[in-house]
Amino acid sequence: MEVFLQTLVAGVLKGGLYALIGIGMTLIMGVMGIINLAHGQFMMVAMYVTYTLFHFLGIDPYFTLLISMPSLFVLGILIQKYLLNPLMKVDSILPENQVLMTVGIAMVLTEIARFIFSSNYLSVKTSYSSSAFYVGGISFSVALTIAFGIALLLTFGLFWFLIKTDLGRSIRAVSQDGEAAELMGVDSEKIKMITMGIGAALVAAAGTLLLPIYYLFPDIGGPFTRKAFVITILGGLGSTVGAIFGGVTLGLAESFGATYIGMDFEDMVGLVIFLLVLLFIPGGFRRLTKV
Amino acid sequence: MRIRAFGLLVVLSCLILGIGSVCAAGEPIKVGVVLPLTGEQAKFGEIEKNSFLMGLEEINKAGGVNGRPIELLIEDDTGKPDVGRSAVEKLISQDKVVALTGGYSSSVTYAVCAVAQQRKVPFLVSTGSADKITEQGWDFVFRIAPPVSEYPKALNSFLSEVVKPQSVAILHENTLFGQSGAKEFSEQCEKAGIKVLIKEGYEAGAVDFKPLLIKVKAAKPDFVYMISYVMDAALLMRQSKELNFNPKLFVGGGAGFTLPEFAKNAGDAAEFVFSADLWSPTLPYPGAIEYFENYQKRFGGATEYHGAEAYGCIYVVADAIKRAKEISQAAIRESMAATDMMTAFGPVKFISYDKKKQQNQLPTYLVQWQKGILETVWPKNVATKPYVYPVPEWSKK
Amino acid sequence: MKRPSGPLLLLVFLLIFPLIFREGYYQHLMILVLMWVAIGSGWNLISGYTGQVLFGAAAFFGVGAYTAALLSSKLELSAWWGLPLGGLLSVAIAFPFGWICFRLRGPYFALATLALNEIFRHIATIWESLTDGMIGILVMQTFISKVPYYYVALATAILSIVGVDYVIRSRWGYYFVSIREDQDAAESMGIDTLYYKMVSLCLSAFLIGITGALYTNYMGFIDPKVVFSLHDISIMAILVGIVGGVGTIYGPTVGAFIMVAVQEIFRTGGFGLLNAIGKATGWPFMTTVTKYISEAHVLSFGLLVIVVILFLPNGIVGDWGIIKKIFVRSKKPAV
Repeated sequence: MEVFLQTLVAGVLKGGLYALIGIGMTLIMGVMGIINLAHGQFMMVAMYVTYTLFHFLGIDPYFTLLISMPSLFVLGILIQKYLLNPLMKVDSILPENQVLMTVGIAMVLTEIARFIFSSNYLSVKTSYSSSAFYVGGISFSVALTIAFGIALLLTFGLFWFLIKTDLGRSIRAVSQDGEAAELMGVDSEKIKMITMGIGAALVAAAGTLLLPIYYLFPDIGGPFTRKAFVITILGGLGSTVGAIFGGVTLGLAESFGATYIGMDFEDMVGLVIFLLVLLFIPGGFRRLTKV
Repeated sequence: MRIRAFGLLVVLSCLILGIGSVCAAGEPIKVGVVLPLTGEQAKFGEIEKNSFLMGLEEINKAGGVNGRPIELLIEDDTGKPDVGRSAVEKLISQDKVVALTGGYSSSVTYAVCAVAQQRKVPFLVSTGSADKITEQGWDFVFRIAPPVSEYPKALNSFLSEVVKPQSVAILHENTLFGQSGAKEFSEQCEKAGIKVLIKEGYEAGAVDFKPLLIKVKAAKPDFVYMISYVMDAALLMRQSKELNFNPKLFVGGGAGFTLPEFAKNAGDAAEFVFSADLWSPTLPYPGAIEYFENYQKRFGGATEYHGAEAYGCIYVVADAIKRAKEISQAAIRESMAATDMMTAFGPVKFISYDKKKQQNQLPTYLVQWQKGILETVWPKNVATKPYVYPVPEWSKK
Repeated sequence: MKRPSGPLLLLVFLLIFPLIFREGYYQHLMILVLMWVAIGSGWNLISGYTGQVLFGAAAFFGVGAYTAALLSSKLELSAWWGLPLGGLLSVAIAFPFGWICFRLRGPYFALATLALNEIFRHIATIWESLTDGMIGILVMQTFISKVPYYYVALATAILSIVGVDYVIRSRWGYYFVSIREDQDAAESMGIDTLYYKMVSLCLSAFLIGITGALYTNYMGFIDPKVVFSLHDISIMAILVGIVGGVGTIYGPTVGAFIMVAVQEIFRTGGFGLLNAIGKATGWPFMTTVTKYISEAHVLSFGLLVIVVILFLPNGIVGDWGIIKKIFVRSKKPAV
């Protein structure tokens, strides 16, 4: 029983972070209709921002959220404006040109990070990095629990933004039907830039929250990009509520897979579930929950 | 339009092939080095490169070899076997090196050694630790580092004389080093009557080891043997502490557990962790501690056994060239085969045993982190501190 | 009548290449180029012509490579049998995969192939009793000289170009292209799109699988990380395709030349040219420049992708007209 509960807790806490990674990707997917294969690399950039601020100025990682998120917001906007939006006017054989472009962006970001920081492992060690509290013999990592809380806050903030504000409504409009929205006077290029910015800022938050308990090197982005698209597909493309389900599902699947099947299979479990969902519930969990 | 495309192609290929032969002939004796300087393994390639250059500088400052300096031509293999092969072909056919050394990842090292053997150029492998590399009967390939299966030798005597455990859990990263080390160690344990409760691999770079550790904790092994690289090692120890998991001892299988970064990242969770080790600066080898300190002074970062392997290599190569009858590839192979010398990395002598040929055999050691310092604790004759065993529980540290 | 002279010239050049360049270094580079021609052509058939972007070429490459290696290590047969068998086994993988996943469209199919790639890498790593995991499999090379490998690689490359050309000129080719242009329209015209997409995928898998088996024979050592590499095989295959020209017969050939050349030029700092300049002129900063240049080869790949997609979305061969125009225009003021 203790094994089961501890696995459950580990899975849910990790799932919270995954959800935060997945929501940004989902939002981009919904509005742009593309899969951002540079998503994990955005996270890596945010982690380097956090590391730099911590290392040179001694700012606590949780405060650097206020800097890492806006800087990634700007980066997202610039990338969308100068690299992705122009592609929509270009005539090409493959419609996936934008996805291929994000692959190129991912490579460039990784190599720039390697240029500046070299391949060395870096880490941010805080007093709470390896502390835990115990509830009935089950251990909760302090940093992961805080991360989980902040992830929840940010998600609710995003919901409020999407539902209550004009800008949020425009984003939802473009996501539902881009052409109709444009006819209604929504500047879809601007909306796309802002969406890419928000997506990047959200994954930046995930990176910043992860850094105290993890570590950092330039190639860290790839595995998280892969996790992000698994989450996005699980949750149903474009569905923010779905992304939360997707994130927690992946977290739980990985944890239970690691405990009861074998840590060897941790990544495989996620990928197999991904393929199954893709085939049998093509709309992802959104179709089941109808949210 | 197509014709032009092909014209371009032909011109391009001529271009690639044409500018190749720019190299200056000179007096220095050329030795080629193949290392991963970019890509994921660049970090270790960099440490080895620095160590090669440090050794080279010292040798050349002391007058070189028979009055001639050695020149190292360092090529990047980017961690890919096909690129490694490009690199070594270039070194042999264009730069006309008399000997080769380096070789970090086993897949690249294997591909490179095959070329060296075919072209009859002596190759001294600094790291590439797959057992198979020296089991091909290749007479131009030498290896200074012991094969991966021999890393936990010292641990076995410590276990049988001091700990006398009944059961073990083996965790390993899914890399060549992890998988073959775990396989070898679990066979040794079964021979010694230690029950292997869990033997499980993981993908290097996992975020959360707790599910695995929960399972290991529930199985209650006497000790845990882990083969991990530095950051995974630190996470494993930190999360073991979080889970309040207290086996009799935690033992690392070399690699990540002996690096300063491990202690830095694991913090107090590193305390009293044991590890098998090939080399540490405190060992009584001439020049070991000087090498360690000079490296730190010169490059700012800490070095480790990979660096020591490289540093040892360059001295072995210089020694072989010095003793060679003439400066030719065949003569250097002859003299290298007769090597019997002491280096900062340890004694070097290439012997053949079992299936292996021209393999250096090294004693291994057991080390333990005590108050943030890595102390050699076994065998007793080289111990810098007595070992701490039994290890106190997390709550009492 | 002048039309075939370009490819013919190239063919003659390639046929006599090992006689002109006797150094192992050049022959090795050329073998790599030829292997990438075959992989790129395979990728191009399913992605460029049929419009189903393959993000997991390494799955088929690795299956081919492992077939060859296992034939030699487990059944003690010659690893050369891996060429036909590896290709067929890749088809055997591609067939059910395509049947299941071709109901997915566009980016979803691409992601499914990426997942397939990763799943195969994990299987090859974990299934130690069969594959020896990351310890890898060793195959003794048959020939010491590179020339036999060169001609086998050349034959594979020619087979893939001629094969793709033949298929594209046949009725299948029109079906493939019509699926790429508008799948629904193709469907409504009575084309069995699932069937033709699978034909295309299986042919691609066959070409890529053969090349994988050739890689094992040539390199003599494989492990899961090398042959199932997402970065070094799958993405590289895409780069070869899009840089050269998506949906063109000779695009992958141009792409393979460029990618191998770019990698080698950066890796060696312009073949030691920069170092030589540094030595000749005594400028110490040249060493620093060389160091940065050689570290920048992946960066250069990334930038190349961005530039090509932005300005030459159909690759160098596909947008040859645009390139020509740029040169013609820039010449005019000079005249």
